[in-house]
Amino acid sequence: MTQAQLVNGLEEAAPSSVVAAGRRNLSGALHGLRRQALGAYLPLLALGLWALAADRHWAPPQILPAPRLVAQTLGELISSGELLQHVGISLARVAGGFLLGGALGLVLGTAMGLSRRVEQYVHPLFHALNQVPVLGWLPLAMMVFGIGESLKVVIIAQASLVPIAINVFEGIRRVPRQYVEVARVFEFSRAQYLRKVVFPATVPSLFVGLRYGLTLAWLSLVTVELLASSEGLGFLIVWGRQLFQLDLVLAAIVSIGVVGLLLDQGLAWLEARLLHWRPKASWGGAKAGAQ
Amino acid sequence: MKWLRGLVLPVLLLATWELLTRYHLVNVRLLVEPGRVVATFLRELRDGELLSQIGASLARDLGGATLGSAAGILVGTAMGTSRFYDRLLGSSFHAAKQVAIFAWIPLMSVWLGTGEPAKVVFIALSAFYPVVLNTFEGIRSVGSQYVEVARVFRFTRLQVFRRVILPGAAPSILAGIQVALVYSWLATIGAEYLLAAGPGIGNLMIDGRESFQMDKVLVGVVLVGAVGASISALASAIGAWQLRWRVTSA
Amino acid sequence: MATPGIIEIIDVKKQYTVDGENLQVLGGLNLSIQPGEFLSVVGVSGCGKSTLLRLLIGLDADYEGEIRVGGALVRGTSLERGIVFQDHRLFPWLTVRENVGLGLTNSSWSDAEKQKAVQEHIELVGLAGFEGAYPHQLSGGMAQRAAIARGLVNRPSILLLDEPFGALDALTRSNLQQELQRIWQTEKISMVLVTHDVDEAVILGDRVVVLHARPGRIERVVEIDVPHPRDRDNPQLKRLADEVREAIVGPHN
Repeated sequence: MTQAQLVNGLEEAAPSSVVAAGRRNLSGALHGLRRQALGAYLPLLALGLWALAADRHWAPPQILPAPRLVAQTLGELISSGELLQHVGISLARVAGGFLLGGALGLVLGTAMGLSRRVEQYVHPLFHALNQVPVLGWLPLAMMVFGIGESLKVVIIAQASLVPIAINVFEGIRRVPRQYVEVARVFEFSRAQYLRKVVFPATVPSLFVGLRYGLTLAWLSLVTVELLASSEGLGFLIVWGRQLFQLDLVLAAIVSIGVVGLLLDQGLAWLEARLLHWRPKASWGGAKAGAQ
Repeated sequence: MKWLRGLVLPVLLLATWELLTRYHLVNVRLLVEPGRVVATFLRELRDGELLSQIGASLARDLGGATLGSAAGILVGTAMGTSRFYDRLLGSSFHAAKQVAIFAWIPLMSVWLGTGEPAKVVFIALSAFYPVVLNTFEGIRSVGSQYVEVARVFRFTRLQVFRRVILPGAAPSILAGIQVALVYSWLATIGAEYLLAAGPGIGNLMIDGRESFQMDKVLVGVVLVGAVGASISALASAIGAWQLRWRVTSA
Repeated sequence: MATPGIIEIIDVKKQYTVDGENLQVLGGLNLSIQPGEFLSVVGVSGCGKSTLLRLLIGLDADYEGEIRVGGALVRGTSLERGIVFQDHRLFPWLTVRENVGLGLTNSSWSDAEKQKAVQEHIELVGLAGFEGAYPHQLSGGMAQRAAIARGLVNRPSILLLDEPFGALDALTRSNLQQELQRIWQTEKISMVLVTHDVDEAVILGDRVVVLHARPGRIERVVEIDVPHPRDRDNPQLKRLADEVREAIVGPHN
């Protein structure tokens, strides 16, 4: 089992506790609101406790910066344009790596899916290489690519490639038998069969792969930036740490979370638009495979 | 005989690698001959502390994973059996998931230092998440139809929990633990790499990189993959044996 | 073994609220079930027959009117009343033997007595030899047999059956109907069977209650005055079945 399978497993188990108030009447809506509010108690409580602890100096301010300070730092980063700069750099790397990895993954997955021969030759090695996680390849990659931009792009590309390849591969393999038989009855040519049956049926799986790929890409990016970068959100964390300015570290962490969420939601929106014909969102297709 | 086809690429790759290094077509400092990698592996195994390093990593891994899983099952059960805890904790979890786990290390290194405790806590944290989510989901998914049977037979609440909900949730919980084991292995290597030096495979790789000994690094990479794969396979086997009452899907 | 008491259903009404509207599922049911009787309940979908069973078994306490067993009001579930669901609901992680033994979890019998009872009931339903099998290894018919054994193992005074054979194929169904007839004759307890299969209702029941829908009310009660064991091809049964069918389709529906 590999890392993307894990992300998959996590996704499938995501709690459905943020309940939408489906009832039409007012009391139903209020009730739903109250239930959602409960979810805010913990963060609010934690925030309150944090502010109190910082105020009372239960720990030195280098270790526990006040929430006020973190918010202030975040504000400064945004207004000075610095945050945007780092976010931009991080996003650019993700974009480059994700596009590269996505394209390669698509090609690889399609090749393995359409041709049993290719699968037989390639899959075993592919599977074996997938057993090594990002952090495993990093020292190697650093020696070969140095610590420049190419390192980031390569690592991100590798992280994105795997779930996409696997999902496309299994998506093609799992085209429901019924559709295949319809194509045979109508005597589709190979090209028609591919165009009208296989590819449309594989698109949902492709999107599953894309989402996991993007999540992994974002994760890998931050990890690489932590270790080998002088710019980007991951770097901000390390820098803040070195300067013993934890407010900076926390501001960076918050930004990472927010951007990650936006990326994922964006892709989800795109998926919903394109796949409106689907009866219900399902995690169809494969486990998101390696890494 | 078709399975032989799977060997073609790896053999080709190895052969190319060997050729490139034998005829110095590549910077030999960068791309070490495969033979040397194997030799290094054997040498480390013999003189060195390879086994004890693997052991150290594994010990850390299992310690942290057990801690994280136990906590995860507790919290997951709380969230799964009580609406209150679910709503209290649920959205916070989902939000925190977006941040790469390694991003927490710098923070943790300030709060907990860089020694063993920090590493173990970090590993436990990485195991915690998947176990909570899977436990929660597993408990939720136990059909009410089984609980109704228990009601007809007048089971006490404790009996319902022990005999219906827990066994019903077991497949999910075990899946969560499998996921946790992989995450914790990754976290172990990461922690070794990013926090203070100590025995372990991560250390081996850092050593290799700093002294520009690619062969050491490669040995480390292969070990990470191999041990990780073995842990996964073992966990899978145990899981399958535990759940032999399930219909196996091909 | 408890002596079955009379089951009295007194003016039972139940309604659901769906989207702000009231749905009268049961509109004043009055019925008495004699000890040891086999009662069949039929009716179109939505006539409330399954709801009635849920009220009888005690899984649902939200209704008006009274339900009494042997004079005592029904409050919640009881080991005196057993049930067989349409989906067998055997616990997938337990063997047949363990599943059947589920009913005895909270009984005060000794282990030896429990084992004996479980074995007897497994044999009663014809599953001897399959004690160690897991539910996924059983066919639909076998799983239902196990469910019946489980429902009977702690010797309840009444067994309720909610369309127990609905999910099975026709051949298995008629087989199990014969089996159920035999089991009932052996155990001699009250049984209430809810079904949409008129032939099944007629071949098994001493009386057939026809419910009509919205609100659920008793349309007609047909007496089946044919001695057991009954033969499917009995012309009298066929006539009575037609009578029942007419009542279902009848003036009110």
